[in-house]
Amino acid sequence: MPESNSTRSLRLGIAGPVGTGKSSLIATICRALSDELRLGVITNDIYTDEDARFLRSAGVLDPERIRAVETGACPHTAIRDDITVNLLAVEDLERDFALLDVVLIESGGDNLTATFSPALVDAQIFVLDVAGGGDVARKGGPGIARADLLVVNKTDLAPYVGVDVPTMVADARAARDGGEVLALSRTDAASVAELRAWVLRLLAAHRSGFHVPQDPGPMAPHFHADDDGGALHAHADGDHEHSHPGADRTHAH
Amino acid sequence: MPTIVTRIPASATLVMMLADARLPVGGHVHSAGLEPALAAGMPANRVFDYLLGRAHSVSLVEAGTAVVARHVALPATADSVAAGLAAVESAWAARTPSRALREVSRSLGRGYLRLGTRLWPGHPGIDACSAAPSPLSRPVVLGAIAAAANLDAESLVRLVIYDDAQTVAAALLKLAPIDPAIPAGWVLRACGEVDHLVAAIAALTSPDAIPASGAPQTEEWAESHSLTTQRLFRA
Ligand SMILES: Nc1nc2c(ncn2[C@@H]2O[C@H](COP(=O)(O)OP(=O)(O)OP(=O)(O)O)[C@@H](O)[C@H]2O)c(=O)[nH]1
Ligand SMILES: [Mg+2]
Repeated sequence: MPESNSTRSLRLGIAGPVGTGKSSLIATICRALSDELRLGVITNDIYTDEDARFLRSAGVLDPERIRAVETGACPHTAIRDDITVNLLAVEDLERDFALLDVVLIESGGDNLTATFSPALVDAQIFVLDVAGGGDVARKGGPGIARADLLVVNKTDLAPYVGVDVPTMVADARAARDGGEVLALSRTDAASVAELRAWVLRLLAAHRSGFHVPQDPGPMAPHFHADDDGGALHAHADGDHEHSHPGADRTHAH
Repeated sequence: MPTIVTRIPASATLVMMLADARLPVGGHVHSAGLEPALAAGMPANRVFDYLLGRAHSVSLVEAGTAVVARHVALPATADSVAAGLAAVESAWAARTPSRALREVSRSLGRGYLRLGTRLWPGHPGIDACSAAPSPLSRPVVLGAIAAAANLDAESLVRLVIYDDAQTVAAALLKLAPIDPAIPAGWVLRACGEVDHLVAAIAALTSPDAIPASGAPQTEEWAESHSLTTQRLFRA
């Protein structure tokens, strides 16, 4: 089997809508940790290899350790339904640069429902930015609600886009049932230090076997009322319908 | 861990699974040359001709390669299989002059092999592919999978021809969308046009006998496509 435990890194996915700062966050992590950890990066590109080129030119990591995967017209397929090309790329990187501590995998910028399969990554960060609007965190979605970490990025821009960062962070925490939220700006050293500490904590938990990969899911878990009092469930796929007897009990997906 | 396949499903079932776009081998990044062709100026209203052309040319090379690889991987031990598959791989490479196309096919072959090693571990054909010094092309790996899975040769030929046509049809809906029923009909027609050739190709056993009916223009298109950055599909 190509996957031998001896070379297995911590695989950390970075997802989030287009332009929220995924590549920049990877550059920030590399800058903060490349002295003490052996890192590798996989980018998932939709149309160009721009992300890989940006990261190579940022000079934060040996360019050879940054690889681009082509995802065709389906960036979400490549990180979730058919992860073959990404798995091959990660396994190649882990073999060529053994031993790596962490491989960072950037998803192609997609929409709010795109999350990584837990068969590809051990943990994932979902990135929003203040420029997308203060309401986005409240709108929820699987990545916002259940990624291992939600980053509210570019806080330095908040005054210019009329967003109150503490409110946005509080909304995000509420959407996540108290899960971790980090307000980040690459210009705010304290927030970068928090990000660095989070990655190191995750790596320690991963190595000690405490961290178990979770699937944020393609949809939010939701409540179905029925005669027995209802049940909370999550859907295994994103495009089905189900009927609910009684007009007051229907909901749309 | 995926379940190892022990009891053998019917060829009809295998062929459905292997032809299914949901097969986890990374096929969704390919357009069977359609994006390069359209980018090079082939009009979108010629796609049916393009499909027919492929069915009569590159599809037969691919199908012949897969059939001979299957034959070589059938009864033998891993050692003899390795030499046999290497000969099939060279025969295929000689019929696929574009380096870009060879690379793309070999990366797709790795996706198939990843699946093959999980579903049919220990089969001499699969083991020989895994032990090859460099990745083998998609038709060679597919042939080894056919041997491991007990897929008959005629089904394998039809699979290769159908898969190529359906890849073009699916990519067309992304690149130059039309009523999706139209390319679905083209796929059936193209497969029907070459069905009389299936038995002869399925009977091939020697690398030398693999059809050499390449399509130089698609090779050239693939080469220029590999140098562009603004592309949706790898090839
Ligand atoms: N002001 C500010 N701008 C930032 C910050 N982080 C990233 N940016 C800018 O946001 C833009 C998008 O950043 P990227 O890192 O390319 O975003 P991305 O999510 O990788 O984008 P895609 O891969 O295209 O989806 C760039 O112009 C960055 O310079 C930040 O902390 N503050
Ligand atoms: Mg990016």
